[in-house]
Amino acid sequence: MNYSLLSLEILVTLLGVTVLLADLWIPASARKLLGYAAATGAGVLLTYAIGSGAPADGTAFGGMFVVDALSNYFKGFFLLAALVVLLLTVDLSDTIKGYAEYCALILFATVGMLFAASANDFVLMFVALELITVTFFVLVSYDRTRSGSLEAGVKYLIMGALASAFMVFGIALIFGSAGTTNFYEIAAHQAELGKSPVFLIGLALTLVGLGFKVAAVPFQMWAPDVYQGAPPLTTAFLATGSKAAGFALLMRVAFSAVPEITAHWSRLILVIGVLTLLYGSLCAIPQRSVKRLMGYSSIANAGYLLLGMAAVSLSGSTAVLTYLGGYIFTVLAGFAVIAVISSRAGSDDVSVFAGLGQRSPILATGLTVSVVSLAGIPPMAGFFGKFLLLKAVANHAGTERFFLVALLAACVGVVISLYYYFNVIRSMFWPKSVPDLTPIAVGGATRLALVLSIVGVFYIGILPNSLVTGARQAAAGLAPQSAVAGHAAAASAPAAAHH
Amino acid sequence: MIPGLHHYLIVSGLLFSLGLFGVLARRSLLVIYMSLELMLNAANLALVAFSRFNNNLNGQVMVFFIITVAAAEVAVGLALIVALYRKRQSAHVEDLTRLKY
Repeated sequence: MNYSLLSLEILVTLLGVTVLLADLWIPASARKLLGYAAATGAGVLLTYAIGSGAPADGTAFGGMFVVDALSNYFKGFFLLAALVVLLLTVDLSDTIKGYAEYCALILFATVGMLFAASANDFVLMFVALELITVTFFVLVSYDRTRSGSLEAGVKYLIMGALASAFMVFGIALIFGSAGTTNFYEIAAHQAELGKSPVFLIGLALTLVGLGFKVAAVPFQMWAPDVYQGAPPLTTAFLATGSKAAGFALLMRVAFSAVPEITAHWSRLILVIGVLTLLYGSLCAIPQRSVKRLMGYSSIANAGYLLLGMAAVSLSGSTAVLTYLGGYIFTVLAGFAVIAVISSRAGSDDVSVFAGLGQRSPILATGLTVSVVSLAGIPPMAGFFGKFLLLKAVANHAGTERFFLVALLAACVGVVISLYYYFNVIRSMFWPKSVPDLTPIAVGGATRLALVLSIVGVFYIGILPNSLVTGARQAAAGLAPQSAVAGHAAAASAPAAAHH
Repeated sequence: MIPGLHHYLIVSGLLFSLGLFGVLARRSLLVIYMSLELMLNAANLALVAFSRFNNNLNGQVMVFFIITVAAAEVAVGLALIVALYRKRQSAHVEDLTRLKY
């Protein structure tokens, strides 16, 4: 077997173990070094992954693990999210008990995400998802002296375990009806499997598990509580890495394993997408807690992404991938600010952001850029992603009324979101009461993370070509476009070619 | 009578439903957690039965993965529930109401 295909996963695991062990020899006063070391390691691996070091396409573990354009696309973003979150931990290292373990857990969750991006088998998918989820149980409840954090952890634990129970039962039914759990082998037999009710029930149960991961209606109820209760940096990683990993798996199952069934279910995905985005947008309106607001916003964004998947087209998948890329930068910029402010003020109510424009211009810039990009205003990354997504949906709107309704609902969602996003900006620059105007000192690592995210948001918004090219290559590797044309032979041909 | 595949699947389906009922109806976190384990074991039983009757060992390998992962999940889960109990002197879902807007 070619172990170089797994080089990223192996190196990130080693980095995590090294950080964990190094803590034993490094004095408590120098703990920041561990954060710097972990972030530097993640940065080096990121440049290695997107540079020449990316492994060539291939499969390992008997076809369970696949390296292709899609996996490389996602791996870059997972490492980027880990890098930014680790940089943000450095300046908050005094407030995190068990700092080395926190960094190591972030890295281990990243390993889970890297495996998820490459999973080409339901078994590896399950193990990768559980690695992410179980690590996040700990990360969410990390602030264990605060009962909100523990409560969020227990809620995530129960809901997460329930979702994995559904998924495991679904995988059992898939295995029973298909006799295999490999995506390519299932794709080769999907014409017969599509008629087997056991297989379809199994697939639906598996999608419940993935729907939970990306917080799609009706499996979204955990998200606001967990986002609000978890330590802000955990929330940042949950909103970026964990969500993107869910979408990576969702896309691979939908377009690589069962493209024909996905094409049949496209209306169902569309309805779920519309409900998700309207639920997220409407519930966000009355929120005072910014973290909870981001929870609802993350639900709404999952809804937009599902609309792109429902289009079942190359342009739809490209839009989903591009949107996710921009979304990761956007959310990281926002949470960088939320983490600094909420750990300082001990609260994440909108009122503690009052007067941020005068207290710290760089933090105010970061949050403004993030919120404006989430609202989908040019020239930010959020605008370009939403534009591509809605364009992919609009392509079908002329022929199918369902897509027209979805397009209108998405536009309504965007308008509602303007209200609550700008509420945050208003309280930042034009507060109702005169706030405390003492300046906030921002550490170097936080500054670096913030600049990295802000530059990313503008870069994707203004010069999206390179990202879109990468996204299109990644989406083309999944070959959903042949399924939509209804050519069963064409859909199974690329799958057969892999054997 | 020799039990066939469908007998095992019926038992597995019953176990799964029983687990789901427990998760939805019971109010103690520990009992909910036990019910979740029941759901996982329902899947294990189905996998082993499918493996045995289809002469395909891959399902049994998957069972080992599920057992390992479930063990890790239980270790983390029980630790969390104990930590919550120490903080709040309660392990009931009714008391998990701190996080609301």
